[in-house]
Amino acid sequence: MTDLAWLTVAEAAELLRAKRLSPVEYTKALIARIERHDGKLNAFLRFTPEIALEDARRAEAEIARGGWRGPLHGVPYGLKDIIDYTGLPTTGHSKILEDNIAVADAHVTAKLKAAGGVFMGKLSTHEFAIGGPSFDLPWPPARNPWNRDHFCGGSSSGSGAATAAGFLPVAIGSDTGGSVRNPASMCGVVGIKPTYGLVSRRGVFPLSFSLDHIGPLTRTARDSALMLDLIAGHDPLDPGSSESTARSSAELDRGVKGLRVGVIRHFYTRDMEADPEVTAGIDAAAKKLADLGAKVSEIETAPLGEYIACNRTIMTSEAFAIHEKWLRDRPQDYGALARGRLMAGAFVRAADYVNATRLRRKMADAFHALFSGIDVAVTASSMDPPCRIDDPKAVEYTYLRQARAPFNLTGGPALSVPVGFTEAGLPLAMQIVGKPFSEALIYRVANAHERATEWVNRHPSLA
Amino acid sequence: MKDDLTIEEVRRMAAEIGLTRLSDEHLQQLLRATTMARARRAALPIATLAPADEPAHVFRPDGGQ
Repeated sequence: MTDLAWLTVAEAAELLRAKRLSPVEYTKALIARIERHDGKLNAFLRFTPEIALEDARRAEAEIARGGWRGPLHGVPYGLKDIIDYTGLPTTGHSKILEDNIAVADAHVTAKLKAAGGVFMGKLSTHEFAIGGPSFDLPWPPARNPWNRDHFCGGSSSGSGAATAAGFLPVAIGSDTGGSVRNPASMCGVVGIKPTYGLVSRRGVFPLSFSLDHIGPLTRTARDSALMLDLIAGHDPLDPGSSESTARSSAELDRGVKGLRVGVIRHFYTRDMEADPEVTAGIDAAAKKLADLGAKVSEIETAPLGEYIACNRTIMTSEAFAIHEKWLRDRPQDYGALARGRLMAGAFVRAADYVNATRLRRKMADAFHALFSGIDVAVTASSMDPPCRIDDPKAVEYTYLRQARAPFNLTGGPALSVPVGFTEAGLPLAMQIVGKPFSEALIYRVANAHERATEWVNRHPSLA
Repeated sequence: MKDDLTIEEVRRMAAEIGLTRLSDEHLQQLLRATTMARARRAALPIATLAPADEPAHVFRPDGGQ
């Protein structure tokens, strides 16, 4: 049997359903791994083994009685600590909300509980999903399992680290300008920002109402699709919630023969210049897709800088509105990074915000019109490999160098997948992007690439 | 809009919106952040907007039905 740490959700589900693996045995194995190694990685902000064992025992009893609920039944998961779990603090990794106890489950939490998942704890995040990696907060930042001296990306930093380290097969994060895809890229796992509104934002502390998305981080594309199907669905109490019932896992094994793949190369060669290893990784992945039968060509869209400026104008305005009172009353209780990044919205004029939303509509319409000539797009995620976590200049430099923010703006799905490793052994990634509600298609491409390359089968040594 | 903000200008602007508890270090952060936000504003292709170009968020009193 595969080492339990590296079971995927799909593999675990098969074993658990067949009663060849006990949920309690599985959970205890991961608990032991977390206890042994997380002191070096800080993936967890609040580890809850007692809740995990209770959930595991319940799952074991239910499965033994023939009451298997589905692929997450008896499978451990974690939640970014901006996502509510009843009775536990949702801190946002901040002193501001240290003692904030959730009185209800987030919509996504309720779905995971109903699916019979085993809750392992709350995961580290950048402060309020924007300020990190920070060393001036009540809890330390998460570190990269591939090299602990390096940044694991954020803001869903603990979600990326925990999945990559074999602590969990799945973790839930949020993504406003790239915060599921950044840690997925830096940690060598799979992370999706789904179509806006596909997953309810209710019970997730907001950063930016019109740009926030909720998505899973997993080690395979299949798991990502399975998990997205589980957590997606209309929520009448989320004003942005979509009514789509499209299934993300519907086309996983159909291959890419004949699919039209448009590479947005100018994002990472002209608009920004990516590290040569990043470019080589994406080029190799595009060639692999062509070898598998896809029709690969280059496409053009608006300059990356325009997308980012538009995203940031909207994001900083909405975020400042949320945090204004605390910034007024207790600015000293924020970490420096969050405070600085949130204050960027302090003096954005109303006309600038409105114009950014008008540009958003035009840019989204123009981007989605490209899909009359392609099926999916491919581009960079990060422009650079993970930098050292103790180098604030490098962190700030690489924070701004990314091509993820455009797709929060346009609202369609964007999936970060591994495409290899640097000479130094750090993960490389690319994004596969689709028009709204085309998750099934992008997972089809991701799965084909994954099976042809097997990057997802490499795991970090935590010794 | 004036290009170069000074710390005293930022202090005054902050006070006008109630941010009166910012330390000198916080004000330096605010100055850097505002400078960056203004650069972003300059990067927005606002000249391409026609008067009738609608915002992405359109209010529907029927809840979108």
